[in-house]
Amino acid sequence: MITLLTKIPSDLWGASAYIFSKYAPLFFFGARNTIIIALSGTIIGLIIGLGIGILRALPIYDYDSKFKHTLVKTIRFLTSIYVEVFRGTPMMVQAVFIYNIFLPVFKNAKLLAGVVIVSINTGAYMAEIIRAGIQSLDKGQNEAARSIGMNNFQTMLFIILPQAIKNAFPAIGNEFIVNIKDTSVLNVIGVTELFFQSTTVAGIIYRFSDTFFVTALIYLCLTYSITLVLKFIEHKMNLGGFDGPHSQTTPLIKGHYVAKEKTL
Amino acid sequence: MIIQIDHLVKRFGNNEVLKDVSLSVNKGEVISIIGSSGSGKSTLLRCINLLESYQSGTIKFEEKDILSSISGINSYRAQVGMIFQSFNLFAHLTVLENCVIGQMKVLKKSRIEAEKLAYLTLEKVGLVQFANTSVMTLSGGQKQRVAIARTLCMEPKVLLFDEPTSALDPEMVGEVLHVIKSLALEHRTMIIVTHEMSFAKEVSDRVLFMDKGIILEEGNPDQLFNHPKEERTKEFLSRFRTQ
Repeated sequence: MITLLTKIPSDLWGASAYIFSKYAPLFFFGARNTIIIALSGTIIGLIIGLGIGILRALPIYDYDSKFKHTLVKTIRFLTSIYVEVFRGTPMMVQAVFIYNIFLPVFKNAKLLAGVVIVSINTGAYMAEIIRAGIQSLDKGQNEAARSIGMNNFQTMLFIILPQAIKNAFPAIGNEFIVNIKDTSVLNVIGVTELFFQSTTVAGIIYRFSDTFFVTALIYLCLTYSITLVLKFIEHKMNLGGFDGPHSQTTPLIKGHYVAKEKTL
Repeated sequence: MIIQIDHLVKRFGNNEVLKDVSLSVNKGEVISIIGSSGSGKSTLLRCINLLESYQSGTIKFEEKDILSSISGINSYRAQVGMIFQSFNLFAHLTVLENCVIGQMKVLKKSRIEAEKLAYLTLEKVGLVQFANTSVMTLSGGQKQRVAIARTLCMEPKVLLFDEPTSALDPEMVGEVLHVIKSLALEHRTMIIVTHEMSFAKEVSDRVLFMDKGIILEEGNPDQLFNHPKEERTKEFLSRFRTQ
């Protein structure tokens, strides 16, 4: 043990390189779990958020029945409790609480516990992101859809959501990046994610700053590559649309004039 | 008679926007509604299409109260097409998809059928060559013509125009009015809220002058524009003549 410790270089870069090469499998295992939890948590959270966000943005009109008015108001109340509770308490507290409530299930399935906790937490944020995306749209979109006879469900599915999700995409992607970092709190219930693994490594060799410098670099690599992927997707999504000024005069599209209009 | 409105009252809070409005619209009739801003013209139109609810009175469409079945509201709306001042085209779709989506989702037509009618209708408004472009790239006049095509694709029995040219550059007004005029010649039932007086005079069978939530005066274009009876109508029209 003594010989091992003395072999570690004393400078930060040297020590970090040494630690990384020696304990790479441990770091990779942690990083893998971090990605699994963050990715599935974000996706499931998005699904929860879509559901809750749509429910929270459900419109009611004066001509709807009393029953529908009561129903929609009850839904709004219940969903707001969910959103407020999970946005208003630390994920670390949620983790300990949920893990211990379902201890028999989660004791031997910590990865699952991590995914469930991150999903529920992310769902609350996603619900607000989706609701904001829906409400940022011009209400004319909703009126136009209703005026051609679409019901609320069709209006939401075919007209509102495609635009709302596109507008909300940067915020949705941001949640993924936040989740990569925030899974670190799951070490409190012993999920073997990147932070937990780093504590293990640091404990073995008793070098904290060097080990966590490696950890920081790995987190940075993860978040930065995700940023690049998200930027690429965003770019692809915007190709179809037109992002120039919306003038009434016919604009140039990508250097070409649009087809000359036929005179009436 | 296709639309029968009786004693319609609409309030926004304490503000009574429509006070006892009654109106009957015959099949094939073109009605223009003129009047100053805030007189309740647009609100009346939006009530007919149920984009606004109303406090009392009835609106009957083909002899049936439009509120008689709540599940029927959507199919009623599909039969009464609305064209908005701000176009409200579906921004994420192409010109063609704007015309197709309602036919497929609401009228449950097949894509082939829907596209066929969409192309025919786009041809009619002179925009068939833009079928596959994004609506965001169009000019204001073109957008409004797509909006008209989108509505026509639903084959509505009544067309409601809510100031269709008010958001347009003066240069673009003509092309839109041209399309509306061609629809008038087909003897479609239309209610047009407009500030284009000469246009209203030319296409309408009947012109209504609205003021402070009531229909103050109505008559054929010649009566209303050339021989108005009410002082308020004269005042309103004189302001337009001097412009």
